[in-house]
Order: sequence, then structure tokens, then C-alpha cells
Amino acid sequence: MNFSDEERCRELRKKIFITGYRGGMAHLASCFSAVEIIYTLYMKGLLKHNPADPEMVDRDRFVLSKGHAGLALYSVLNMAGYVTDEELASYLQSKGTIGGEPNIGDAKGIEASTGSLGHGLSVAVGMAMAQKYDGNGARTFTLIGDGESQEGSVWEAAMSASSFSLDNLIAILDCNQLQKTNRVNETMRYIEWNQKWKAFGWNVIEVNGHDIDALYGALSSVEQIGKPTIIIANTIKGKGVSIMENVPKWHFKLPNKKELKVFMEELGISEKELEV
Amino acid sequence: MQSSFMGSLMEMTEKHSDIFYLTADSGEGGLDLMYQRNFPDRCFNFGIAEETMIASAAGLALCGKTPYVYTAAPFLAYRSFEFIRNDVCLQNVPVKIFGSGSGISVSSLGPTHHTTEDIAVLRSLPNLTIFSPATPKQAYESVIEAYSIPGPVYVRLGMNKEREFFADGYMIPSGGLDVMRKGSDAVVLSTGSVLMEVMAAAEILQSEGINLTVLNSFSIKPFDSETFLEYASSVKHVITVEEHNVIGGLGSIAEECLIAAGLSRSLLKIGLNDRFSKGYGKLDTVRRENGLDAATIAECIRKELQ
Repeated sequence: MNFSDEERCRELRKKIFITGYRGGMAHLASCFSAVEIIYTLYMKGLLKHNPADPEMVDRDRFVLSKGHAGLALYSVLNMAGYVTDEELASYLQSKGTIGGEPNIGDAKGIEASTGSLGHGLSVAVGMAMAQKYDGNGARTFTLIGDGESQEGSVWEAAMSASSFSLDNLIAILDCNQLQKTNRVNETMRYIEWNQKWKAFGWNVIEVNGHDIDALYGALSSVEQIGKPTIIIANTIKGKGVSIMENVPKWHFKLPNKKELKVFMEELGISEKELEV
Repeated sequence: MQSSFMGSLMEMTEKHSDIFYLTADSGEGGLDLMYQRNFPDRCFNFGIAEETMIASAAGLALCGKTPYVYTAAPFLAYRSFEFIRNDVCLQNVPVKIFGSGSGISVSSLGPTHHTTEDIAVLRSLPNLTIFSPATPKQAYESVIEAYSIPGPVYVRLGMNKEREFFADGYMIPSGGLDVMRKGSDAVVLSTGSVLMEVMAAAEILQSEGINLTVLNSFSIKPFDSETFLEYASSVKHVITVEEHNVIGGLGSIAEECLIAAGLSRSLLKIGLNDRFSKGYGKLDTVRRENGLDAATIAECIRKELQ
């Protein structure tokens, strides 16, 4: 049976929620804003990768800089064939192998240990440098957050990527406009990302981060013309569950009994599926 | 030390195609240029941006490269500490981090440019090997030794015309601890550039009939406790000397080692006593100001042995 992209992303959200709920904690809202982005990379043929050969030398790399969306990555890696159902189900279990933030070695397909914000873009810069030197046509993709962009190291990396002409580096900004406690622009003003990245010498493309066709179009249009590219993906934090969308308090929280009903109804989850 | 490091690195780069050189505006204009001329596509200056340089080095290493990262020691050890921890040590990748001008060797610029807590903070990091060369030959060898270690390495280089104590053909001993001289009155354990002051202090004391064993710790982590304990067990007094805070540095390593072995010895830790360095000027002056010159070291040991 062929499922539409929309159905598969709904399936991912369901899986993320069930896994997080059973595990006892998750950054659900951050995962939900990134679902279509990670799905498009892995499942729409954009990333050169091979689940049967995860160490393939000339593979493209993906670094989840906003590591707190790790469960979204694990769920897509599960769908792509890297992470087994058992591994996914081991999330936050006492003898589990995967945790709240991705770490190299915890599961196949994890390319970098992330979680502390402001690291991933720099790591991706190094990867793109190595790929360019090797001349095998491989590229590096990284997903960063807009809250994360308050870290100074993001801009150090931005400078180095354009100065080293890393046109095989593609960053995606999950621009959901919320951070842990507040709105991003209420925390630190001046969020003109488009102008900022252009000023740092990047090629900038803006897109709806939940529209898979648009994401695919933007990502596949990237040309290697001497500059790194950033896709500014406008997203909604908590996308897919009405009470979670755009509400800061959901940054790191599970629903209470009353809220759970909404989650189950909107994600199509049965009581049985939530049983550990 | 800097030219020995670069000479060695260029020879190694010639031999090993995975080596890259990353710097953060290190100020070693001539040396950087020399490397750049020889290996233009393996040389990257990140500008004054140590954090991204360290994380990018980890990215390179995750793609099979062996980056050598070089810049001023304090900015590497302190500014980019979390990047060394998460990107390099946690992922256990072969990034070789060379901190230049460690200790108080950049004497004229004061405590912001001194690296007197790097051993303490960095030796707490799992997977990290730490070398502390005392002479140009050791700096040269440190590049080769670092390459032979599969994981990350931090090397603290002095920068003040260190005296050479080793003959041609010198190789780092297997445990990384050099026996510089032997004497029966006390064991002095030293590391890094300050070795020249320790050796001079040993000369002064020898003329007074006090004979010291001087050990030089090239490898800080792992530390050659076996050789150290072998010498420490035959004397009553152990003295450590370091251009570093006495908390967490070589003195602490010696202390941990003695306690773990159940060996009770009087231990004198010469270094910065939980304070930042004092004074500005030539290294001789600043060492004197901080009690790390030969005469003061000799005086401290003399008192200790009385």
C-alpha cells in the first residue's frame, strides 16, 4: 500500500508521541516542528545514504544540531531502516539504548552527538570541509533552531562556512519562533534571519517547513555555487496537536489526563497503544 | 618550541594524507604561512573563533581526518572547553589540540594570557590524553606521539626559548616520564617549560651537598605512576614544580598517586597557590615574582629538607 507523505508524517508524530509518553518525557513540541524537515531529507531521496551500509564513505551527513528533537530523528531513522522497533521502544527505559538527545553509537545513523546548542553547525562545517577535500560530491545537512541561533558559536560557524566556500553545506533553520520560556523575538529582539544569513555570505531560501513539496523543491534547488545555503523553514512548534501549537509551556512537558485526550484524538492514538 | 612543532607537523603532513592544520589567528605568522605554502588545501585559519574551530575539527575527524588544532593555550583550554568536552572527547575523535604559550610563558601579557589551570580542567575529561613537553625536542616528538594515539590529545607548549636537555635521537620514554638526574635526598617532579628552572635549582643544591632526583613528566595523562613511585619510594621527600595552580595539576596528580599506592611521603607542591599569576615583564622576572625561578625553587626545597 502506498501512503502519502502526509500520512507518513502523521504516523511519525504518532510514533514520537507514543515513544515519548511511554518513556516518561520528551521535547514533543520541538520534535513536531521538525518532522517534515527530517522526513523530507531521509525519505524523499535528498540525502545520499544507505541504511544497509550506514558507514558508506561518500554518504551525505545529517547533524541534528537541535538535539532535543532527537526523538523525531530516531523515528525517521526507524522509518528509514536504521533504528529497529526494539531500539525505538527502548527510549528512556532503564536498559534502553536511546535517550533524549542523540549520541553516536546509541543507534545506527547518528552522525554526531548533540544536545548542547550551538555545536552542530560547526561540526557540520568540519564534515563539509572533509567532504570537499575528498572530492566525492558528498554534502552535509544540519538542522538548527531559531532559539539556538542566540548562541555565538552559530555565527562563528556561519562565518567560517562562507569564508571556506562550503557550498556542500546546507543548514536548515527550524524557525518555529519559540524557545524554552518565551517567544524568540521577545527573548532577544532582531530576528531578521534572512538578512543576517545573507550578510554572513550565505545563499538563503525561505520555505514553509511543513510543506513537503515546498521543502523538497527548496532542498533540491540548492546549487553548489561557492556559498553555503540556509533553508529558513517557517514552522509551528508543536505542529499537529492544536493545544500544543505555538504555546511555549509545551517545550518539555507531557500532557496531563485532560490534555492527553486531545493528543489521542488528534493523533489517532488508542489507549492500548499507550500501554507500556 | 613553536618551530619544532611546525617542523614536525609538516613532516607528518607530508607522510600522512589525513592530517589537517587548523588555527585561530594564532599569531604564528611565519610558521602558518610556511604550512599554508606547502599544504594550501589542508590549512584553515578560523579567525578568532576557537569554539567553532574545535567543533569543526571534530567534524573533520568524524569524516576520517586527523586535524591538528593550534592556537594560544588559554583560549583553547578555557574558551572552547565545552566544545572539547562534547565534540571531541565525548565522541572520542582523533583531534590533536596544541595550546601554545601555556603556563606563564607569555609573561608580558598577564593572567588572561596565562594557562595555569588547563591541566586541572582538561584532565577531568574522559578519553583525553595530555602531554606537556619541556623542551623543543619533546615538542617535536609530541606531534608524532599525538598521531599515534587513536583518540583526542591536548598538548601544552611553552613559548619562551626553552632550553634543550635531550640529545639527538631522543625518543619519549614509554611511560612518558624522563629521569633527568638521580640523587638520594629527594625526588622533584616537574612538567613543561619550568624544567629548566628545576634543573638549575638542582645544580644550586648539589653545590650545597643536596642531591636530587629530577623527573620530567611529558605525559600528564596517562601519568607514569609506576616510574614515579619507584623513585618516590626510595626518598623521604617529594616535591612537585609546575607553572600551574597547585590545585588539580601535577602536584595533585603526585598526591593522588602516593595516596593510591599507600605511600606516605612529605609532599611539597610548588606552583601557584590557588591564585592567578602576578607581575608582567620578561619570563625571568615573572617566574621570580611567582616563586618559580631556580633560586626560589632551591630555597623552598632547602627549607623542606631541613
